[in-house]
Amino acid sequence: MKDQQIPIIQIRNCLLVSIQTELHDRLALDLQESLMDRVRVTDAKGVILDVSAVEIIDSYITRILNDIGKSVRFMGAVCYIVGIRPAVAMTLIEMGVELDSVNTALTLDLALEKLELLQS
Amino acid sequence: MRTVESEIGAILTGTISAITQRSIFNRLGPLAARPVSQLSSADRQTVLSELESSVRLFARRNSAELIAASARALGVDGVGGPAAGATAGAAGTAATAGGTTASAKKLPIEQEKDIATARLEAWSEAVRIGLSKFTSVKVATAVSELARNIVFYAGRGTVELRVVRDDKGTSGLQIVATDQGPGIPPAKLEEIWAGTYKSQRGMGKGLVAVKKLVDEFQLDTAAGKGTTVTCLFRGER
Repeated sequence: MKDQQIPIIQIRNCLLVSIQTELHDRLALDLQESLMDRVRVTDAKGVILDVSAVEIIDSYITRILNDIGKSVRFMGAVCYIVGIRPAVAMTLIEMGVELDSVNTALTLDLALEKLELLQS
Repeated sequence: MRTVESEIGAILTGTISAITQRSIFNRLGPLAARPVSQLSSADRQTVLSELESSVRLFARRNSAELIAASARALGVDGVGGPAAGATAGAAGTAATAGGTTASAKKLPIEQEKDIATARLEAWSEAVRIGLSKFTSVKVATAVSELARNIVFYAGRGTVELRVVRDDKGTSGLQIVATDQGPGIPPAKLEEIWAGTYKSQRGMGKGLVAVKKLVDEFQLDTAAGKGTTVTCLFRGER
């Protein structure tokens, strides 16, 4: 099977990643790595991960999202996760798993708004 | 020659993304690459019933239309209802003597990509037997955690999905994750349940998370003998 890659899009000084596939482990780790590179190269102030198409998030993927959030923060940027599905949120709560190293917003629009407020 | 994949792909395109189609066709295995004209009628039924569960999962709005179009392309008539039920039963590995297990599917877990396959399989099984949308996501998440534990700590094992009926005839799903790995030593088990265990690769919270998600949970583990986790999602009424 061909290597998949998740595209990272730059809008002004934000990096936007729309995850359109079930995150498997290799893919998630690759994403973390290339995202770090892009934050450094582009001097991005914010990173937005859109997970509205992701139907299952387990504790391992949660850890990866948290790790991405932490590393983005270490580089001086802010990380938002947007579009978590209701069933995914309920499941994470029930499992007692925390998404505490990232910010969350309901939609992409709201995340962009919050990031803009931060910068003005 | 039109293969199953090209024939059905043409129908699904527009509603189901290419990536999701990939995973649907992966589930069909070698059947996806065979020309439609060379399929036996049993093969056609298998393809159709597999498609039914995945399409219903991914195309919420017009799944009925897509399944009907797929059935026409495959030259199978009479979609859903009794036909689908019959094939689903035949596909399972026969009912057990006890009579409470309606059907079972055993999935080998040997590498990371099997985790994604297992959770997709579990999800569509949950939807098929009528569990709610939320519960089905919980089922898939629990299977994901268990399959991941197998790959991380034991290297290989199996996840079995058993459809069970309670005394009122409501279908629930039993998940049995088995491996012949190193087992979990008692000291580590204590840390796991206390929530103080931190693994190198995961959060170290997989088992605790599964236990919280399911209705019944049983763990059998012994050093050197492997680990079996049995859990149950009850049917909803």
